[in-house]
Amino acid sequence: MKQYRYPGLDETMHKTVLPNGLTVLVVPRPGFSRKMAYFVTDFGSIHTDFRMDGQEYQAPAGVAHFLEHKMFDLPGGRDVSAEFAALGANVNAFTSYDMTAYYFSCTDNFESSLRLLLEFVSTPYFTDESVAKEMGIIDQEIGMNTDAPDSRVFDNLTAILYDNHPIRVPILGTSETIRRITPQVLYDCHRAFYTPGNMILCVVGDVEPNRVAEIAGAVLGSEKRPMGEKRCHWPEEMRAREKTCSARMEVAMPTFELGFKCEPTGRGEGAIRREVVGDLAAEALFGESSPLYLRLYEQGLIDSSFGGGFETVDGCAMLLCSGDSEAPEAVRDAILAQAETLIRTGISKEDFLRMKRSALGRRIRDLDSFDSTCFRLCAYHLSGFDYFDFPGVYQTVQPEEILEFVDRVVREARCALSVINPVEEAI
Amino acid sequence: MIETIQLQPGVTLRCCADTRFKQGCLSFQLVRPMDGAEAALNALIPAVLLRGTRVHRDLRAITLRLDELYGASVGTLVRRVGDYQTTGLYCSFVEDRFCLPGDRVLAPMADFLRELLLEPLTEKGGFSPAFVESEKKNLISTIESERNDKRAYAMEKLFKTMCRGDSYGISRLGEKEDVAKVDPDGLYAHYRRILQESPVEIFYVGSAPAKEVARLLEPVLAGIDRDFRPLLPQTGFHDGGGSNLTEEMDVAQGKLCMGYVTPVTNRDPEFAAAQVMNTVFGAGMTSKLFMNVREKYSLCYAIGSGYYASKGIVAVSAGIDFDKEAQTRAEIARQLDAMRNGEITQQELNAAKEALLSALRGTHDSPGSIESYYATGALSGMHMNPVQYMDAIRAVTAEQVAAEARRLKLHTTYFLKGATE
Repeated sequence: MKQYRYPGLDETMHKTVLPNGLTVLVVPRPGFSRKMAYFVTDFGSIHTDFRMDGQEYQAPAGVAHFLEHKMFDLPGGRDVSAEFAALGANVNAFTSYDMTAYYFSCTDNFESSLRLLLEFVSTPYFTDESVAKEMGIIDQEIGMNTDAPDSRVFDNLTAILYDNHPIRVPILGTSETIRRITPQVLYDCHRAFYTPGNMILCVVGDVEPNRVAEIAGAVLGSEKRPMGEKRCHWPEEMRAREKTCSARMEVAMPTFELGFKCEPTGRGEGAIRREVVGDLAAEALFGESSPLYLRLYEQGLIDSSFGGGFETVDGCAMLLCSGDSEAPEAVRDAILAQAETLIRTGISKEDFLRMKRSALGRRIRDLDSFDSTCFRLCAYHLSGFDYFDFPGVYQTVQPEEILEFVDRVVREARCALSVINPVEEAI
Repeated sequence: MIETIQLQPGVTLRCCADTRFKQGCLSFQLVRPMDGAEAALNALIPAVLLRGTRVHRDLRAITLRLDELYGASVGTLVRRVGDYQTTGLYCSFVEDRFCLPGDRVLAPMADFLRELLLEPLTEKGGFSPAFVESEKKNLISTIESERNDKRAYAMEKLFKTMCRGDSYGISRLGEKEDVAKVDPDGLYAHYRRILQESPVEIFYVGSAPAKEVARLLEPVLAGIDRDFRPLLPQTGFHDGGGSNLTEEMDVAQGKLCMGYVTPVTNRDPEFAAAQVMNTVFGAGMTSKLFMNVREKYSLCYAIGSGYYASKGIVAVSAGIDFDKEAQTRAEIARQLDAMRNGEITQQELNAAKEALLSALRGTHDSPGSIESYYATGALSGMHMNPVQYMDAIRAVTAEQVAAEARRLKLHTTYFLKGATE
């Protein structure tokens, strides 16, 4: 494996692409007991439309998440979770808008656990009975999200912010869409996207990097298989489809999510640079050290639940902030007004340095988390960037880029506000 | 591995010197008895301390200072540890070796902690009324927001109902009504008093040697006129009577919570067996509850049990359809009976032990888990280090697990269901 050193971060990464197309990333962490492996496919909830072998597919919304659940079934009644547990490893998985990750963490039996991870994720086994049974479980999960204000307020926001991008639809799909999922649909998606060429294996821990690559080659074979061609572009005008939406739930106080539609960040170094600019713009505009944050906090318009940042998903990006507030519209108006002030006054050299130092320190501290390191390495690799190169981006980014971003993005036309209001008490 | 230094009577510094991490942590906790009369005050204090000092006079000045310290963070720490409530601050900061040449973080961080603790912005002998009012509002909204997370809300209701006679029935953050009554002068007087009287637990994880940390903390203690009053030891469950409660709310999914009691706490020799028993029963994806109530009968999406070991409570919670209540209750009871009858496979026992062992092996893999293990362990009266604890878990037999299951008594249940209209 090829070795890359990052002295400023105290990190080393071993990287290779196997003959079957799988990307393998290993970050050794000597002296730690815990080992973590992420096996990730570049396939998430938004990738329902794809082409394979000259045929067009339109899978039902929620299929990526459904597939994630069903991967835990193996032929012969084998129980994946129990097998990991017997090895002393914890296995889990999640589906996001643009990727699905299967991962385990363990202290002992790393190699057996790694083999098991690679095996179960590459073994599709779906029956009518097991698919029908899963609908009940996922219905409950959808019900849980329906009762969670955080996910409701966000799902409602993306539905009014976007015209076409499938981020408009919840990751889990709906009770109706998942009813259209059949074993054949799952087999098609698995064949299209769970092929090594569309996947990454990332390991963090005190392991021998070459062994990881050897095991992946042995379990997955060396054959390079064809994969599905995903639809990744959706026409979007840079304005919100609707300005506001609201719903009522059992919450103590109104909770809101505010979003500004941004251009997609694309791929490679330009993409992470645009992301860093978006993050720093969020910090300058309404971060905890901004004048606006203090003013809104002291006026009682926001509380410590307030926060935000820049979010990217395949084919779309958003500047977001959310929190509890008695007057969400006033928070929105204050942010729009502050954007004008910021563009007029600019950002001083000292302030900019301080913001960068803070962001850099936080990102470095974050690398103590194995989870977060695996996740970021995979997510950034999918956007064509080596995450450990982030310090270099901070060194070159300029205040003018932040101001240009704010001027372009923080506009009323691009803005949508989603609010969840308390259910009115019966008198 | 943990070096303990008694800095003064009742002031303990515990240090874990470790050079593997990119960040260090420093926590400072005042230990109080969990008491309805002061729970809200103790919950409010750290939030007010983080609003401003004589030097850094508002939130923004504090954040700017933390930005300069390479994005260090200081958070409030309000914990329930058995019969105790702790209140204090938790600092995380990047290790000095990642700073630009000449820059340091640990020493200025320790000084900033001193400033936050001992030089709060005061007005006429009380905390700043503006800070107190706004943090009261925040705390009330945090307490109200717990209603948003229906599972946490249902569990809180279970504990309140179940622990009428026990300190566990007192909310960790106090009650809204008590928060509303707090005044800036009274709060400041209370703070000065608990600074003088309470046991103090300080915990550090990072690359600096214990001696240096002790030296850096000297000015913190020099600023307090101590009058130490030790606390009563931890106690087991005080039974105030059980009940079965059902409540209606506008929700899509029901939450069923079942509270059991056991005489075994983490201070007893049977602790490891009780812990394994809870794991076989309901903790994790190989437990009886997960494998049966969820996987076999599809009665729920989320189900799990937790062992509140400093008190001897096992609580089960499940998210279910409203009409599945009786069926779920019956199935949970059936799983417990199976354990009581010794129906525990070798696979179940091993999986449970492995899950516990695996979590414990990782204790020393992050500053946060080191701090949380030792800083709360010492207070709750659990004095095994992770290695001793793991040995105790390995020695547990299926018979012991069954025996512990037989000691569990269903005490109280709570069901949150949708409004009938």
